Amino acid sequence: MGIAIEDLAVAYGGTRVIDGLALTIEPGSFFTLLGPSGCGKTTLLRTIAGFVPAERGRLRFGGQEVTHLPPHRRDIGMVFQDYALFPDKTVFDNVAYGLRARKQADNLVRARVGAALERVGLGHLGERHPAALSGGQRQRVALARALVIQPRVLLMDEPLSNLDAKLRLQVRETIVELQREAKITTVFVTHDREEALAMSDRIGVMNKGRLEQVGTPATIYREPATGYVADFVGGANLVEVETGARQAGEVGPVGFDAVSLVARAPRALPAGRAILVARPEDIVMVEGDAPDALPVTVAHRQYLGGKTSYKVSLAGGRVLAVDLQNGAHDRFEPGARVGLVFDPAKTLVLAS
Amino acid sequence: MSAQLRSVWFWLSALALAILAVFLLYPLLNVLTGSFGGSSGRSGWAMLVADPKYATAIVNTIVLGLAVTLTTTLIGVPLAYFTARFSFPGKGIVAVLPLVTLVIPEVIAAQTWLMMLGNNGFITRWLGARGIDIPSFYGWPGLITVMTFTYYTYVYIGTLAAIRGFDVQLEEAAQSLGTSPARSRLNVMLPVVLPSVLASALLVFTLVVGNFATATILGSRVPLLSVLTYQAAVAEGGSDPVMQSTLASVSIALVMIVLFVQRWIVSRGRHEVTQGRGARAQSLRGLPGLVTGLLAGLLVIVSLLPLGSIVIGAFTVSRGPVMRWGEWTTIHVERLFRIAPDPVLNTLTYAAVATLIGITFSAIVSYLIVKKRTILTPALDYLTALPLALSGTIIGIGLLMSFNTGFLPLTGTASIIVLAYIVRRLPFGIRNASSTLYNIPNSIEEASISLGVPPVATFFKVVLPLMVPAIAAAAVLTWTTTVAELSASIIVYSGGRETMPIQIFKLIDSNLMASASAYGLVLVAVILIPIVVATRIFRVDLFSSKS
Repeated sequence: MGIAIEDLAVAYGGTRVIDGLALTIEPGSFFTLLGPSGCGKTTLLRTIAGFVPAERGRLRFGGQEVTHLPPHRRDIGMVFQDYALFPDKTVFDNVAYGLRARKQADNLVRARVGAALERVGLGHLGERHPAALSGGQRQRVALARALVIQPRVLLMDEPLSNLDAKLRLQVRETIVELQREAKITTVFVTHDREEALAMSDRIGVMNKGRLEQVGTPATIYREPATGYVADFVGGANLVEVETGARQAGEVGPVGFDAVSLVARAPRALPAGRAILVARPEDIVMVEGDAPDALPVTVAHRQYLGGKTSYKVSLAGGRVLAVDLQNGAHDRFEPGARVGLVFDPAKTLVLAS
Repeated sequence: MSAQLRSVWFWLSALALAILAVFLLYPLLNVLTGSFGGSSGRSGWAMLVADPKYATAIVNTIVLGLAVTLTTTLIGVPLAYFTARFSFPGKGIVAVLPLVTLVIPEVIAAQTWLMMLGNNGFITRWLGARGIDIPSFYGWPGLITVMTFTYYTYVYIGTLAAIRGFDVQLEEAAQSLGTSPARSRLNVMLPVVLPSVLASALLVFTLVVGNFATATILGSRVPLLSVLTYQAAVAEGGSDPVMQSTLASVSIALVMIVLFVQRWIVSRGRHEVTQGRGARAQSLRGLPGLVTGLLAGLLVIVSLLPLGSIVIGAFTVSRGPVMRWGEWTTIHVERLFRIAPDPVLNTLTYAAVATLIGITFSAIVSYLIVKKRTILTPALDYLTALPLALSGTIIGIGLLMSFNTGFLPLTGTASIIVLAYIVRRLPFGIRNASSTLYNIPNSIEEASISLGVPPVATFFKVVLPLMVPAIAAAAVLTWTTTVAELSASIIVYSGGRETMPIQIFKLIDSNLMASASAYGLVLVAVILIPIVVATRIFRVDLFSSKS
């Protein structure tokens, strides 16, 4: 069942957090709301859940309008950052809670809760209380509890944030597997770009209550609509440049610190100021003064195991980040004069 | 706003507010406006200025408040510091101290001190027989002594919580920066702990201002505000409604000023305190350990003396007011149950009803305040805390003035006593219930709602079960403080509806200490048995939410 949002406005504590937002989420897809804290992603999720009222606009699940439906009648499954397990109830009773609220027969409840716990690998822990579980196990219980009612929509609010790095990867895989299996339309909120890229069918990048861009992980990463998206999704170098008018997809020169670079415009551009986007891992660094290379000086170096992260400074004082895979390249010493080579296909110019 | 109007929580809040307006705000306004003159036509404030007796009473009250604040701090703070930071022989018994204030009703404390050190007291007599005359216990010596031992546990508990909550890593940081351990403690711990110490000391001040039992029993030579207020309210041959309102207004003003200062100190001192490691108790051996242990032990023994005295008093032969120390009898206790059991039954009935209603109301209102905020929440929050600033005497006077006649005549009924109980203990019930609610994350309720359970059903299925331990603790605490309540009930009660504390007070007034002790013994049992049952059998943690 898909989700359709039209012209949504939401006020929270007197200030309008979301204004005029529109979004369509395909049935059965995994959709991620990505953005920094305070961007409105959690508010949007809670509006979809019904915990935050919409001031204006329409919200539909499939064909049904749910804008004014109270949350307990929306038929949603929700997973919270702090797990929100009922501490006085056993794991089994936690998972059975929604089924019992739906007045399901006892033997059916037992069978379905058993299957759901089995599915998340906790079949043997039904009699435990949440306090006796690890963080990863608790979030699996929460997931089973949300999915066992076969909700129309699964909503997840940073469910992995309270887990340590290793568990985060495991629970991440469980979530994706279960979602693909059940084909439940899922909205997942996170500030972690890696999570978003790895898990989602589509991602909506949010900034100040607006959706900056909606697209597949590859589109978001490779063809960001704005400098903000490019920076948030990949930690890019952003440089203000001058350019002529461009057609979508056109590759051409841009002026940059008295040097001319060749960059691609993923969308049509007017002439004038624009933003040049170059990801650190897409820049190649060569020794000495190669003819087409941008001359820079290595200012700082950080060894990170698989790669080395450099900060290089241009003649004008501007600093760029460059990541090089280790092994295939020489390691450049701080102070060395080197040249940067930009790949025209991966160097983008965007409207500012 | 329109969404708020549709919500059931908004209307529940409005209902709670209306109840508080009728039974708390309206009586309080009656007290305050009553001071500006009634049928006699003279303003109470003019009379207050005209008669120097009142100025003396105000000064006495402030002096007594300051003195007891000082003495309780001098005892409570060192005791808390040594208990939190050191282990010493006999430290275990210090843990019973928070219970002492609960178990020994104030009226009994005053009475038993009198039985020990009064003109006819056994210590006075024993010393007198050996040629040692001690000064009269009535007046300042008695007031300060009894109030000190009644109230020092408040400072002790407040300071102990602050020191225990202090992150010892801050002290270690100070030491790593080169100051000595003692200096580090002084520089780093003191400023963080000080606001809590001052706050609990000022709380003692407000309690002294409102104190009725000790002030009346021991303060016959020292005019005090609370005693004059009570006398104005119940004077033989017609009370003085204008003067009672005026004096009540003065003590409300006094307490308000102090509470305002307390709030200011607490808000200024609200440092960002991160939950850190508590300190490991340092072991005190040898002489320092022995001295600390002895002093602490002495303090506990003195605090528990009233319990021993009440037992002795209840079983000592008496001829009228004369106690025959050393001769024993069970006649007083027998007589209590055979001839005059009414005060016991009254106490049990009224306190049970008040506890039941009070705790139910507190649980619902706390939930509204903590979890269902509307535009009415701040008003609800303030009103439920208001009784903290009002002494029992004032609450009694307010209820009497408001429900004597008029739209809800309650005077002469048992319900006005129950009402006084509920109003007086409301803040404690609210505080207990809300501290638990703050620890229940909102997401738990939302999880339940998202699984298809409507909000009101969610409260009963998810929130209420989590509140049960706190409600049980609050019920026990409310019960124990309600059966011991005197200052409000003695104003609103009518003949035949005496409770145990009222009966004890009247017997003390007639100097019948042995009969008073018999009722005292039953009262202590009525307090102690639920505490023991709750903590030992039901494993209720009485002080979990009382930081």
